[in-house]
Amino acid sequence: MGKVKIKAKEKKGVVKVKAMFTSLMADKEEATKKGIEAAYIQQIVATVNGTVVYEISMSGFMSENPLLKFKTKGGKKGDKMVFTVTDNHGKTTTSKKKIK
Amino acid sequence: MDRRKFFKGVGLVAFAAIVAPTTDLKAVDFRATKPDAWEADKTTKGIQALFGATPVESKEISFKAPKLAENGGSIPITIKSKLDLETIALFQDANPRSLSCVFSVPVGAIIEYDFRIKMRQTAFVTVVGKVRGSGKLIMTSKEIDVSIGGCGG
Repeated sequence: MGKVKIKAKEKKGVVKVKAMFTSLMADKEEATKKGIEAAYIQQIVATVNGTVVYEISMSGFMSENPLLKFKTKGGKKGDKMVFTVTDNHGKTTTSKKKIK
Repeated sequence: MDRRKFFKGVGLVAFAAIVAPTTDLKAVDFRATKPDAWEADKTTKGIQALFGATPVESKEISFKAPKLAENGGSIPITIKSKLDLETIALFQDANPRSLSCVFSVPVGAIIEYDFRIKMRQTAFVTVVGKVRGSGKLIMTSKEIDVSIGGCGG
């Protein structure tokens, strides 16, 4: 799994979040062609102060850098946003970012 | 006799806790709850497997996508809706399996999601949303032309 880069900015009560990351994003067919194991990010959950503000379950058919963007009202400047990224092998990575 | 009844009661409660609708604190894990949906090869099958019903075309959910994607490996999509949707799923008939991704939307979220998908070929992309409360299914679809296949094809 690659690295996750998060940008979160609050403006007038709305937090705009951008999450960039590189991951192989190879689903079963592609992986077999390349002779490697299927590897992709399966789920991403974003929480602010313990409340879920975003959740996406993905297949391997997302781009290598899916460049996820979303807006939420569930946070403000200074709050910490926590991203939990799970890959198809069940491995989880957590990243934290303060909302600017 | 009493002990048996007690255990049965506990079992029922535990079962209910698992089946009970999730609240905001825990995001829905679609892989755990709907594994079949991820294997469906065509959009219509995927929608049935994930939602169990047929959605209605609606203007209240929309998505932006390029008409022609020059790079099938990175097609930007923006899904928007003013309704209070609890689930949004994107399907396409370009890849071997139709379900690309599913969002579970927390209460009060602004529905404007950007992301990029891969499509091996020109195909229809369908976005389906489930309205919170009523459970009504709405959808909208578009055809996206792909000039270069983006799945190593």
